[in-house]
Amino acid sequence: MNTFADKQTLEDLNLTGKYKPGSIFSLFNKVHTRGAEILLEDMFHTPLLNADEINRRSSVFLYFSRSAYVFPFHGQAFSLVEDYLGSGGQGSFLGTLLYLARRRVMLAVTKDEGFSKLREGIQASILFLRTCRTFIDGFDVKDQGNPFLSEILDARSILHDRRLAGILRDGNLNSLAKLASVHHLLTYTMQKEMEQLLTTLHQLDLFIAVGKVAAHRGFSFAQAMPEQEYIFHAANLRHPSLEKAVGNAITTDRYRNVIFLTGANMAGKSTFMKSFGIALYLGHMGFPVAANDMVFSVREGLYSSINVPDDLSMGYSHFYAEVQRVKLIADEVASSRSLVVIFDELFKGTNVKDAYEATLSVTAAFAEYRNCVFIISTHIVEVGETLRDNDNLQFTFLPTIMEGKTAKYPYLLQEGISNDRHGMMIIEQEGILEMIARLKHHPN
Amino acid sequence: MRFTTDQQTLDDLRLFGKGGDGSIYQLFNRTSTRGGAAILEEWFRYPLSDEDQINERSGIIRHFARSGQPFPFRPELFDRIEQYLASQDERSRLTGREQSLKDKMSGLIAEDSEYKTIHQGVAALVEVVHLLKGLDWEVASEKKAFAALLDEPALAALLSLPVKAKLTYEQVAAHDGLLRFRHRDSVRRLLQHIYQLDVYISVAAVARQRNFAFAEAMPKGRLLLQLQGLYHPAVPNAVSNNLTITPESNVIFLTGANMAGKSTFMKSLGIALFLAHMGMPVPASSMVFSVRDAIYTTINLSDNLNAGASHFYAEVLRVKKVARELSQGKSLFVIFDELFRGTNVKDAYEATVALTSAFAGHRDSIFVISTHIIEAGDVLKERHDNIYFTYLPTRMQGTKPVYTYTLEKGITADRHGMIIINNEGILEKLKNGKPKITKNRLV
Repeated sequence: MNTFADKQTLEDLNLTGKYKPGSIFSLFNKVHTRGAEILLEDMFHTPLLNADEINRRSSVFLYFSRSAYVFPFHGQAFSLVEDYLGSGGQGSFLGTLLYLARRRVMLAVTKDEGFSKLREGIQASILFLRTCRTFIDGFDVKDQGNPFLSEILDARSILHDRRLAGILRDGNLNSLAKLASVHHLLTYTMQKEMEQLLTTLHQLDLFIAVGKVAAHRGFSFAQAMPEQEYIFHAANLRHPSLEKAVGNAITTDRYRNVIFLTGANMAGKSTFMKSFGIALYLGHMGFPVAANDMVFSVREGLYSSINVPDDLSMGYSHFYAEVQRVKLIADEVASSRSLVVIFDELFKGTNVKDAYEATLSVTAAFAEYRNCVFIISTHIVEVGETLRDNDNLQFTFLPTIMEGKTAKYPYLLQEGISNDRHGMMIIEQEGILEMIARLKHHPN
Repeated sequence: MRFTTDQQTLDDLRLFGKGGDGSIYQLFNRTSTRGGAAILEEWFRYPLSDEDQINERSGIIRHFARSGQPFPFRPELFDRIEQYLASQDERSRLTGREQSLKDKMSGLIAEDSEYKTIHQGVAALVEVVHLLKGLDWEVASEKKAFAALLDEPALAALLSLPVKAKLTYEQVAAHDGLLRFRHRDSVRRLLQHIYQLDVYISVAAVARQRNFAFAEAMPKGRLLLQLQGLYHPAVPNAVSNNLTITPESNVIFLTGANMAGKSTFMKSLGIALFLAHMGMPVPASSMVFSVRDAIYTTINLSDNLNAGASHFYAEVLRVKKVARELSQGKSLFVIFDELFRGTNVKDAYEATVALTSAFAGHRDSIFVISTHIIEAGDVLKERHDNIYFTYLPTRMQGTKPVYTYTLEKGITADRHGMIIINNEGILEKLKNGKPKITKNRLV
């Protein structure tokens, strides 16, 4: 159960979902094995709530993002081996021999595929173990900077086990007895060791894949701090899915815990807020983030209200849906949890005056919870003017630059409240008032 | 010239419903024949803009509403006739020659399906013509039209055939050529007229049943819209309102809380005006109106955020469309519901004042504008004498808002976005909660 973010938040930020185009999960899902994918899913569904755990995990990812290891297996071959090793073996060598002999006869008599499959599995496993040994031997056993070293050493000792030496050397499977002995060894005698090896490989697959995404995209690793610091800082914060995203710096702490964001519709408010939410979420997973120098206090939850499902044909119900979302978040905030809250264009479903009042009062009430961070965007700049004296509000805006008739958006945060008065400007540009007046001056 | 409108307006007023439910067309579509339904749809698609045509049509419907006369024909007759007329292939035409032995043989074994269609079609026409001959029309124009149709040679000839007796091959063959080929036009005209009759009668029945009134159309010259007991036909137990619009009050400035009924009132106004331009009965107790050139409403404007267009820009484009029509000298009926909600308060205020003011310069169009920006009203009151200020009130019973849905004169500041927030106890919750750190307890 994800206690950190609810469904609405996950959807707003497009975090999870294997088959959702552009989801953050699929951005990182470059693994080869199903086991690694399950690990990745688990990490996405249960962000960590403890700074030490987060830092420990991120140090592993960091190590692998800097190294050039390549995961030596591909999905299909790997799952063949996994299926074989997981098939379970007989208790005794004699039993195994009899079992194989029976299958061998069946193959001759009834063309039963079982024996061929078995032999294939054994052959693939030997190949797998050889590749594995080369791969694991490639790690420096004295590298104290490798946070995954103890698992590597364990794997190493399994692969150098004397019992495997013969198989790995010649791999001669000419006789049925030889086949049976290898089968017995892999699926029974050393079954536990094989399982451990696979688990380590799943982890390596994930670490290498995530590390590669981080290196490839220029992501960096955030440092988690205890909750009591109540800080968040990031430079060059951007949206991880956008190739040419513009980065922005952002800092919040207990003295400046509310970011009041204004700007025109297309200026990039939502994208900025999403970038922030995603970075915070990935940070809590110990994952690389699309930002530089990120430091953050661990929080207890992340709530967003960006695309609250609306039914515009009933202006009231959209407003009501938003009110319900705000209420839910107010409940959480008031119960002393330390949260990060994102409100994008609150109360856009109602008239501008109600939206003004509601945004004003709700912002003012939330702002007093200095253990929480709030990012609130609105097109109602008047709310900001009224709240100017609150010393814990940071006023930032995303500007619009008019070049003749076309608007340009630099996506760079600026301090202050947007004074883009595009409303009247657009009306004037479209020449609407003149158009209406035209007839009056020139009747017919 | 037609009375024109656009898709946004048709959607806003739900004139044609998606899926057919609850639309105004569906409300009236009680026709017996498929041809009738098609004509009704055409009426909806092409409302009239000539007061004489409008009054003539509404006069006829009113007549049928008064007489309560039902549609006199069995509907299935027309399916048979249509099916019969559908084939225009000369090769299927029956010839007057004696039936060949082969034809006779096949007639014995199984009736040829092609012949069956022709036979049924001719028989149905015989029944229709005989029935028509026996009817008496109170409406002079109908009487004249049907009498003329019955005088057409192909149709008059049918009167000599027996009704409900099996026609011989020779009889069918003799008339098939006339009805389906030589005088096909007469038959089509007869059908069209009967379909139209179907519409008149079915619409009249709806008017009777729902107690709708017939609007009186006036020439475009001097602007007038007078409505008594207007209500929304799709709202159960709708409250009715009265309204008179003249060049001295042609801009309606409507205020009221979110749920007070502004949109519903504006929609009912639009629906009545649209129906009136079709000569149809209207959901009101009386209505007089001078014809307009077009109707444009902006009620449920959806923003296309994916296409990068903001709600505000969508509104601006809508206003521009109206402005262009006005500049071409058209007299319009325009509704804007809650303009400029996708922008900041200042822009919304300025834009509302600027546009309403500009609209007020056109005294031969009607503008209905709803807004929450009451300050705009104060300025507009000073500047113009042709803006009529009206509102839909909210009465508070404790913390519960109650609505009368009855227009009152003036401006109201009623809103209850905050009431909803207060009712949910959001601010109190936050006030009584215990932050881990606050301004006064900063470490």
